[in-house]
Amino acid sequence: MATITLQNIRKEYGSDVAIENMNLDIRDGEFVTLVGPSGCGKSTTIEMIAGLTKPTSGTIRIGERDVTALPPKDRGIAMVFQNIALFPHKDVYDNISFGLQLRDFDKAEMDRRVEEAADTVQLNGMLDRMPSEMSGGQRQRVAIARAIVREPDVFLMDEPLANLDAELRVHMRTQLQRLHSKLDTTIVYVTHDQAQAMTMSNRIAVINDGRLQQIDPPLTCYHEPANRFVAGFIGSPAMNFMRGEITPTGFESESGRVDVEFDPAAIGVSTGQDVTLGVRPEHVIPVENAVGEVTAPVETYTDVMEPMGDEIFVYLVTSRGETVDMEDPSASGQILMNVGPETPVEADQQLSVVFDKTNLHLFDADTEEALAHGLAEPVRVDTGTTSADAEAESDD
Amino acid sequence: MSQATQQERPDDEPRGAFTNWVDSAIKNPEKVYRAMFFVVVIFFLLTTLFPLYWLTMIALSDSNRVSEGVGLLPTGFDPGSFVEIFQQIPLHLYLFNSFVFATLTTIFVLIIASLAGYAFGRLQFRGKRTLLLTVLVISFFPPASFFIPLFQLFSQQISFLGLTPPELYSTPGGVVIPLSAIFMPLAIFILTTFYGQIPDGLEDAARIEGTTRLGALFRVIVPLSAPGVATAGILTFIAVYNEFFFSFLMTGAQAQDWAPIVDGIISYQSQFQIRYDLMAAASIVAVVPVAILVVVAQEKIVSGLTSGALKE
Repeated sequence: MATITLQNIRKEYGSDVAIENMNLDIRDGEFVTLVGPSGCGKSTTIEMIAGLTKPTSGTIRIGERDVTALPPKDRGIAMVFQNIALFPHKDVYDNISFGLQLRDFDKAEMDRRVEEAADTVQLNGMLDRMPSEMSGGQRQRVAIARAIVREPDVFLMDEPLANLDAELRVHMRTQLQRLHSKLDTTIVYVTHDQAQAMTMSNRIAVINDGRLQQIDPPLTCYHEPANRFVAGFIGSPAMNFMRGEITPTGFESESGRVDVEFDPAAIGVSTGQDVTLGVRPEHVIPVENAVGEVTAPVETYTDVMEPMGDEIFVYLVTSRGETVDMEDPSASGQILMNVGPETPVEADQQLSVVFDKTNLHLFDADTEEALAHGLAEPVRVDTGTTSADAEAESDD
Repeated sequence: MSQATQQERPDDEPRGAFTNWVDSAIKNPEKVYRAMFFVVVIFFLLTTLFPLYWLTMIALSDSNRVSEGVGLLPTGFDPGSFVEIFQQIPLHLYLFNSFVFATLTTIFVLIIASLAGYAFGRLQFRGKRTLLLTVLVISFFPPASFFIPLFQLFSQQISFLGLTPPELYSTPGGVVIPLSAIFMPLAIFILTTFYGQIPDGLEDAARIEGTTRLGALFRVIVPLSAPGVATAGILTFIAVYNEFFFSFLMTGAQAQDWAPIVDGIISYQSQFQIRYDLMAAASIVAVVPVAILVVVAQEKIVSGLTSGALKE
């Protein structure tokens, strides 16, 4: 059993607080991805689990053991690093067996394990090469073999694919998923790339500013983001946000151009409250394609078009000739729409769009916490229980 | 005709060789750099190798005719002095003593300077700069200024809290301890630079794989800093092997009393005669171990070892 528990972890560097009140509960055999922008503290978190960095306060448990004060070598972990970190003066065999040599394994057992690990990552016949003679992908596989050969309780991976080229990265992504289903070991994975987080993990822990924002299965983070940060970070291209306030009949944007009708009482908001409306690009629909519950049409003009082949990204502005604020495009009325390739849209054209009402999100403008997901039959976000608990119940 | 055209040099005017050379040098500066390179190299080779050559000529001269003066060729010819040096005194023991001093000091310095270099090069702690500067400042003191207190200490003339220190005079300790301290700062500086350049990821990887910090230092950081360790080691070894002041004064004059090579060479000078040919021969023999060491160590220095370690 190798669960990982972080309790009230706090990490300070001098007077800077890198991690504040971090609580994580990672189950046995789970693939959890820590995701967040650069400098959010995700690497610090994984280093604390590894023991390379000591938390200022709080407890870390691996399985039943309190490992907070243990050195890395006694924690039963293996780690794959972003910069690969193979020992350049040792050949592949010595690199993979380094940990076993330190633990005085006998030669036959060591050979068997190294063979097996090399087999898993398809490195047969390369055991006598030096790292400098290998390609980036091969080195990365050696690093993974070095990690699995010790059969650790927990794998830690700190952006292991960040230095590979795009094609290899997608390939290694599926390899890692296969590896996880084969080994059934707990894996903690750090990345800033939300695509990797979405595709590989059982659960995603979104971190920002040293605080855990949400830990949930990828689709829950996508469909029911806990706050505005998660909503904006998960999903690509990012969600559109519109500031506005609650009216007796629903939502009205600051510009007055966007109106959404719903019953404010049903989600427990009061008239006049400042809120942010969130809508994903794929839920912005040209009015003639509208099906199901949609909002009243919004008059827009197409600005820039980005045809991707299988889809088109259309940048809409709510008034012609408006300058878009580079820092915060949605504040100045820019809306990104994602439509199918056959949709007849052209640049610089007037276009009425509607929003899919079942997929609208409402956030508190001050606290940025989610108020409601889906305004067709508005469901209030119950802030009392976390969605992680809800997910745990549905597991049973 | 304007004045400017009058001042121009007509193309058909004959030029001197020197002018031609200057012109071609300006067009082709590589030529000058190459010439400079050879001038400098030949100068250094002459100044370093000529004394050795002349020493050989003295050693090969006939002992009775050395006083006549030795030029570019030996005066008379008698290679027997290379045998005689071992017959007159146990020169091999003097050599052995110096070798022991140098080896022990090098081992001592490398181990301690490695630990210091690790701390200075890879850790962040308060007072690091001050400490490093203190080490540097201590290395500025002339070694002679430490001699008298150290001599009194090692020859048991001082007692401290009623305890007398062990007698280190005329033992390797009396030489190795002060010389280690004197050559330590240089080694610390060299190793700090090298250890500081090893990527953190490699040390982290070693620690995850199962070493302590100390284990990571000796299993990963030191092997990867081989050129730096070899440099520090060779510099220390040569400096101690050549050292005169402490190794001469902290030991007796006899080989059994751990006297170094200098004592051996000086003992060819007696009250009645000075055997310059023997002194020269002994000096040449004394150079041999160091020369071998440098050649061997140079082969061991494999630079560029870290290439391919990390993907930047």
